[in-house]
Amino acid sequence: MKFNSWYLSSFLISFFVLIPIITVFTSFFESTSNYYEILKNTFLIEYILNSLVLLIAVLILTFLLGTVTAYLVSFYKFPGSNFFKWALILSFAVPPYIYAYSLTAFFENYGTAFTILKNLFGDANYNKSIPKLDGMFGAIISISFSLFAYVYILARASFLYQSQNLIDLGKNLGFTKFKSFYKIILPAARPAIVAGLSLVAMETLAEFGAVDFFSINTLTTGIYNSWITFDDLAFANRISFFLLLFIFSLFLLENLSRQKAKYHFNSRGGFKQKEKSKLSGNKAVLAFAGCFFVFFMSFLFPLSQMLYWTIKFPENLFDLQIIDLLLNTLYLVFLSSLVLIIFSLISNYGNRVSNNKTLNILSTLSISGYAIPGVILAIAFITFIAWFDENIIKSLGFLSIKKLFIGSILGLVLVYFVRFYSLAFNGIKSGYEKINISVDESAYLLGYSKRKTFMNIHIPFLRNSLLFIIILISLEIIRELPITLILRPFNFETFATTAYISASEDLLEAAAVPSLFLILIASLFIIISSKYILRENNE
Amino acid sequence: MNKNFFEIKNVDFKVGGKTKVANVSFNIKNEGDVICLLGPSGIGKTTILRTIAGLEKITKGSIELKGNILSSENKHFEPEDRNISLAFQENSLFPHYTVEKNILLGAERNKGKKDHQVSFQEIIELLDISLILNKYPHEISAGEAQRASLARSLVTQPDLLLLDEPLSNVDQSFKEEIQEKLKKILKSSKITTIIVTHDSYEAFYLGSKCGIILNQELKQFDDPYNVYHLPNSIEVVNFLNRGTLIHAEVTSPKSLKNKDLGTITGNFIKSFPIGSKVKLLVQPEDLHHDDKSNLKFEVVDRKFRGTNFIYTLKTPSNTLIPVFVHSHHIHQHELDEKFGIKRPIHIDHIVCF
Repeated sequence: MKFNSWYLSSFLISFFVLIPIITVFTSFFESTSNYYEILKNTFLIEYILNSLVLLIAVLILTFLLGTVTAYLVSFYKFPGSNFFKWALILSFAVPPYIYAYSLTAFFENYGTAFTILKNLFGDANYNKSIPKLDGMFGAIISISFSLFAYVYILARASFLYQSQNLIDLGKNLGFTKFKSFYKIILPAARPAIVAGLSLVAMETLAEFGAVDFFSINTLTTGIYNSWITFDDLAFANRISFFLLLFIFSLFLLENLSRQKAKYHFNSRGGFKQKEKSKLSGNKAVLAFAGCFFVFFMSFLFPLSQMLYWTIKFPENLFDLQIIDLLLNTLYLVFLSSLVLIIFSLISNYGNRVSNNKTLNILSTLSISGYAIPGVILAIAFITFIAWFDENIIKSLGFLSIKKLFIGSILGLVLVYFVRFYSLAFNGIKSGYEKINISVDESAYLLGYSKRKTFMNIHIPFLRNSLLFIIILISLEIIRELPITLILRPFNFETFATTAYISASEDLLEAAAVPSLFLILIASLFIIISSKYILRENNE
Repeated sequence: MNKNFFEIKNVDFKVGGKTKVANVSFNIKNEGDVICLLGPSGIGKTTILRTIAGLEKITKGSIELKGNILSSENKHFEPEDRNISLAFQENSLFPHYTVEKNILLGAERNKGKKDHQVSFQEIIELLDISLILNKYPHEISAGEAQRASLARSLVTQPDLLLLDEPLSNVDQSFKEEIQEKLKKILKSSKITTIIVTHDSYEAFYLGSKCGIILNQELKQFDDPYNVYHLPNSIEVVNFLNRGTLIHAEVTSPKSLKNKDLGTITGNFIKSFPIGSKVKLLVQPEDLHHDDKSNLKFEVVDRKFRGTNFIYTLKTPSNTLIPVFVHSHHIHQHELDEKFGIKRPIHIDHIVCF
């Protein structure tokens, strides 16, 4: 039973996903060992320091934004609380780079803020009094408002599962609401908040578009620039090492905190549904204002800025081949989702029926692709294909396969596959965890083969999970920038790449149209999936 | 035909390479027989069922059904290729199907076998699950899920039915009724069944034979009456927890003597040489109460069991002896009171170790 076709399929899938990850490590060790020299003679220290400053500032800001809003909507009823509950996750529709464009467009000299002031108070030189939210500060604001929803969603889920008994206990001990919050509620939600912050940290370190736009030299932009600008793949790989060090420590932290998260209350045994307190008067106004401010800043502000520019410069709307961009984006979404879902399902089922330790370890390693920034994965993929082409294909006398994989849809989908494999694999895995193994065994005992059990029992049960995972993958691919930028075929653009290219040519108003469409499509996906993301019970 | 319907020969039952129960042999002689395996939780009873069902492999011995080897060191039929049904202790209903659909999936396996439709209706009624047929597994209680799972197993009309603690989640008030119904179904459908339970009364009621599993071994495999009255080892006595072992000396082929109780007569199950020092099993119903007797001991505990009391008496040598008394007995004895034992003491089956 151990070495059946399911085992083999699962093994091969996990191994394939691991190839680029292994490539990153091997090319790092091949390149050099004298890292002290590199630190001394290059910009590496600047890259590391900038990455650290960005990381710490974003973590603090997302923690505050995410936990405070999650606390307010989970524990209190106030005007709009039901609306904010899901509206706050719309910030996911705005990638940091689009936020950065909006921020710049609003605060730049003669930008939107200037126009508003001029219309309100007449002609004057307002440029001096308008703050310039660019550089490091701009990057921190952009990334934080775009990513705080990770903390919000996980903290809210954790707050929701906190039993009323816990709150009553606080009251019984004579705690004030504030003391209850930081003594009981917050520590109980700590694993979830840490998990959310770890995701924010990984995304921040991997962030390319926004930091590149603000010309901040971080490890990620350093990798991209070494490769694109200086054509120095070896140096790109060396920087990758430091970034991976950061990321794997965070990955470890996140995994550890997730294990602790298992100790949350569940619906059976001692769980008492929480009753939300109704806020009135000034408190209700404050809660509303706080949530509205975050919702406005994270979603309405970039959306309206992009909308404003699209209306102000309508020619951009007509210049752009919207239908082509939409079809290209949806084509990538469709292909990638299909490949990810099929292979993640097979791999999960293979793991389940084989119950083999080696396979489990391989699967755990293979899902680390999500922690590796897209830039590194894309470069690792190119490195591997170049090596494979040179050393295997050509030596066997075959024609080069480079063109088949680099600058092609196939290559793009394969790297998306590696990058988002953990999303699909873990999503399906958590669906599978709800199916007791005795369900499979009952099926076998009813005469079902493994294939029939998979098709007739598992797939129908996992249907909702699969739908949710497809939406998440779609959302990621619509927003994805660096992999698409590096590996896309010639003349093949998506909303994300078009927006980036226009912005990098200082044509921000031209970037508004694809950005607006990107936000709208992503919002649509988020609204569809919100009922899954914000599930209020343990089903 | 001399062949047993089902037979296990010298099998080590293992989970993940670790032996749970070693060198087990027993058989079911006739089709339609029901046997029970009894033992404390975690001893390996479920492992035995899983292995018989084909969910675990064996490395020693053999498992045969209707004369065909299902499992041996070199042979292993996959679960789907054996017509054996296992009803799990925990809820193993398919979560995305209604109870009815779950049961019908079981009936699919039964296609082509006679009486399936009748059995389906009968089983639904007998297990009293008609009201939950349209519900999903998460909408029903654990006891209902267990009965639904039992129904699914029963409608498959397997060659061998394996029930793992089938009534563990059923309410106590409902348990006896379901036990009766289950016995009736199994008898009328002539399904050969192995039931695993930790409840000795359930095992004694449902099984024509009982196997006692203790300390990684099948200690005794016998009729329920024999298991209860003629336990073959001290471990079985301790597990059934229905008596006490007291020191005695064999004084003749039909008697022995204890320091506190004096002479006890009866029939030895196993003979011992005269003069042997033995441990005599005294069960609550072996001694009889007599207020007029001059053999009196102090009452240290009294358990009310509805139809009877079980008094625990302390002898001068500090041995605790249980005595059964009908609860309608004319008067009750309080703690610290003296309690008379009828003499001469005669025990039908003298069990000594």
